[in-house]
Amino acid sequence: MAYPRLIGALCATTMLVAPAFAQDWPQRQITMVVPFSAGGPTDTVARMVAERMSADLGQQIIIENIGGAGGTLGAGNVAKADADGYTVLLHHIGMATSATLYRNLAYDTLDAFEYVGLVTEVPMVVVSRKDFEPKDFKEFISYVKDNADNLTLANAGIGSASHLCGMMLMSALDVQLVTVPYKGTGPAMTDLLGGQTDLMCDQTTNTTQQIKGGTIKAYAVTTPERLELFADLPTAMESGLDGFDVSIWHGIYTPKGTPAEVNERLSKALQAALADEGVIKAMADLGTAPSPAGDATPEALKTKLETEIARWKPVIEAAGVYAD
Amino acid sequence: MSTKPKDGTDIAAGLLLMAAAGFFGWQTRALEIGTSLRMGPGYFPMVLSGVLFLLGLVVFLRAFGREDDEPFGKIAWRGILFILPAPIFFGLTVRGLGFVPALFLTSFIAAQASVRMRPVPALILALAVTILSTLIFSYGLGLPFRRFGPWVQF
Amino acid sequence: MDLISNLALGFSVASSFANLAFCLIGVLLGTLIGVLPGIGATATIAMLLPITFQLEPVSSLIMLAGIYYGAQYGGSTTAILINMPGESSSAVTAIDGYQMARKGRAGTALAVAALGSFFAGTVSTFLVAIFAPPLTEVALKFGAAEYFSLMVMGLVMSVALAHGSVVKALAMVVLGLLLGLVGTDIYTGAPRFTMGITQYADGLNFVAVAVGVFGIAEILRNLEDEHDREVMTKNITRLFPTRQELKQMIGPVLRGTGVGSVLGILPGGGAILASFASYTVEKKLSAHPEEFGQGALAGVAGPESANNAGAQTSFIPLLTLGIPANPVMALMIGAMIIQGIVPGPNVVSEQPRLFWGIIASMWIGNLMLVVLNLPLIGLWVRLLTVPYYVLFPIIMAMCSIGVYSVASNTYDLFAVAFFGLLGYVMSKLRCEPAPLLLGFVLGPLLEENLRRAMILSRGDPTTFLTRPISATLLLLSLGVLILVFMPQIRKRRDEVFTESDA
Repeated sequence: MAYPRLIGALCATTMLVAPAFAQDWPQRQITMVVPFSAGGPTDTVARMVAERMSADLGQQIIIENIGGAGGTLGAGNVAKADADGYTVLLHHIGMATSATLYRNLAYDTLDAFEYVGLVTEVPMVVVSRKDFEPKDFKEFISYVKDNADNLTLANAGIGSASHLCGMMLMSALDVQLVTVPYKGTGPAMTDLLGGQTDLMCDQTTNTTQQIKGGTIKAYAVTTPERLELFADLPTAMESGLDGFDVSIWHGIYTPKGTPAEVNERLSKALQAALADEGVIKAMADLGTAPSPAGDATPEALKTKLETEIARWKPVIEAAGVYAD
Repeated sequence: MSTKPKDGTDIAAGLLLMAAAGFFGWQTRALEIGTSLRMGPGYFPMVLSGVLFLLGLVVFLRAFGREDDEPFGKIAWRGILFILPAPIFFGLTVRGLGFVPALFLTSFIAAQASVRMRPVPALILALAVTILSTLIFSYGLGLPFRRFGPWVQF
Repeated sequence: MDLISNLALGFSVASSFANLAFCLIGVLLGTLIGVLPGIGATATIAMLLPITFQLEPVSSLIMLAGIYYGAQYGGSTTAILINMPGESSSAVTAIDGYQMARKGRAGTALAVAALGSFFAGTVSTFLVAIFAPPLTEVALKFGAAEYFSLMVMGLVMSVALAHGSVVKALAMVVLGLLLGLVGTDIYTGAPRFTMGITQYADGLNFVAVAVGVFGIAEILRNLEDEHDREVMTKNITRLFPTRQELKQMIGPVLRGTGVGSVLGILPGGGAILASFASYTVEKKLSAHPEEFGQGALAGVAGPESANNAGAQTSFIPLLTLGIPANPVMALMIGAMIIQGIVPGPNVVSEQPRLFWGIIASMWIGNLMLVVLNLPLIGLWVRLLTVPYYVLFPIIMAMCSIGVYSVASNTYDLFAVAFFGLLGYVMSKLRCEPAPLLLGFVLGPLLEENLRRAMILSRGDPTTFLTRPISATLLLLSLGVLILVFMPQIRKRRDEVFTESDA
């Protein structure tokens, strides 16, 4: 196999010359890898910010969707890409959880990437079928504790946002519900609408319209602060569920060895994009908001990734589910 | 020819099906079977492998005592040799060589599958396919492929 | 009348000059890209999706819907002309459509497909307009148990796809089911049959399997003895169907439209079954079932209508619930979100212009498709006169691009080669690819719903019989099974008698 060696040699040469052209970067179009299929929520976030970042950088950013294996294929691809600043990765919380969920990752999550910054943190809502008995979240907690054996909790598959949030919910309530996995949010939501399952916890991107339409019932949000969108919904934490703080955060990464100047420049472009009226409006429609400028930095993302890996590791290990 | 009639095609088909069933069954062995009430990942494939094996056996047994009504015919060795590697080659080189050279070589390799295709027309065809596809997919639709990859940049 | 004023609103939106233009562009682009071999509807939409992001919401979705129909139509065209189905539904069209093409009736097959699709599209557009909300209620009654029973019915029907040995067809279905299970088990996360290759964690790519077992196997067959075999008949007598052929297609088209419309409403993958179910129905009702697989007109007309009707009504769950019925719909949801419209139950009331505009544009798109494609038939058919040794390298190049563009996954291309070889070996052993493909599509759905139903019923298997819809479906399957095997048994008895006579 001369082929990987050839790539290795090429990578080595690009790393040697990398600092020399950091000042002139970017010279050509940049590829932003989204490790999920086109049209999904992560792809949507990527396309929103990429368009504004392109304007700031003066070079087109094109989106390449490399879906598969919970985002680890796309991330693995970027980990192996040239560290010249022309390949970047936009990934969500799965970047941190896959470090535990997948026991044979092709890359070392903490050692294969450089950081650009956080993009947005999408809050999640605990929802139920529309005729679920409890009136508010207080009642909900005691009801679920009493009826744990008879309740079903839907999720969109292992490693999905709803799966993570569901694990957090069960661990916060200290109950074991009957988990019903689906292939994606669509079918999971359909069965919740039809009353085939009882509970779910999912991102506002997927739940907002259904809650507003009255087809499902919302009980609590999973962020430390209440949301402007659902001002009357309590947070899980204020209702006594300590540490129940889940959001689907998105970050932008580059391959290890990408010059610091390039990452800084990308981070500036990201901050500019996040301050854009159009982006703020588009994110608000999805029930989320851009990360503050202070979080759209390499340091903030690095800290976030490290703490999140540490936080999810015990939760996933306790649940005993792995995706590999 | 032989004294007892038998359907060689179906014998091969039956054996192949049983082999496939064996492969899937063997691969299932590492998976948890579970119970019919709480099925594990291995339950459904295990049942299917069993059914496939039985069906293969039926095909195999019924092949005896029957004439082969449609002989096996020629095998397209040249086709297999050049058609099948074409997509593999494309996959291995599209990132390294880039879209344009990878596609050109892929079309050229595939064109070799026919004995009627002479080298010069094959080159012209490969060139035409490459130019048109690059215009349509790369420029027209803006697919995120690099036209020339790192292996051909100096 | 609410309906009339709603439709009037819809048509006023859809028939603005700009929207008509976008619809036309969408249909045109969809057809042109979809007609490239190995590039199915999903790949076409994934490629063309970014173009629509720049437009205003209604126009963007109208264009996208146009691309969708165009791509589907284009997929049927390649299925008929070169045996390359780009998606599961056109795999059925390939069975008889390709045989018609080989007999010099490619033009007829294409025209029948276009006319059948148009009729089905018209009827089901009105169904969507009139019944969208109540039908949604029905769709929500379908839980895991119901879907499982529905898939069982689909499997039973699949036997009718075969025109050779029933046992072999069953074996192909089972093999397909097993291949469909390749990938990560969604319940436990355990990888199955991936042989340690992470790239197959999400299963085998449908286009890779379909292009392999149908298209590439066919190329190899044609390369067997190039010297003494003419691949395609060049004496194509007429392009359009005769009056008698038109009369023959009325029944299949009507039935196909009915079957497709009903199945398309179910968000959990009912539309997949539409063309397979229609094929079974036609074969059963036909006075000449032996023609099926040899180029039966009804084998193209029925499934094509069913397919288009299902495609149309599968917009119902998307528009009324905001839930995608298939990957293509999921892409459309993405497009809506990018446009700032989050699909959900309120789209009808909050965005009536959008909702009714899309419905009206569905019909306009179908009309454009038929107007556009009838004249194009001559051109497509002429493609067949291109020497085969020129055509197939182009096919290989296009399907490499098409398969790769879906997820930039090199292993999908390896799968193309593997399934090409498998398909060729299968055809040598007289095993048919269509049942395999149906099994491949149904495999995951069957298992997923079986296990989910068992979880939801807390391990009580009677759930399939105590839920009325599920029980009805299972009963129907039993009926179909008897219908399918009866002639077999009778035929064998006849054979026995003839042999003893001789």
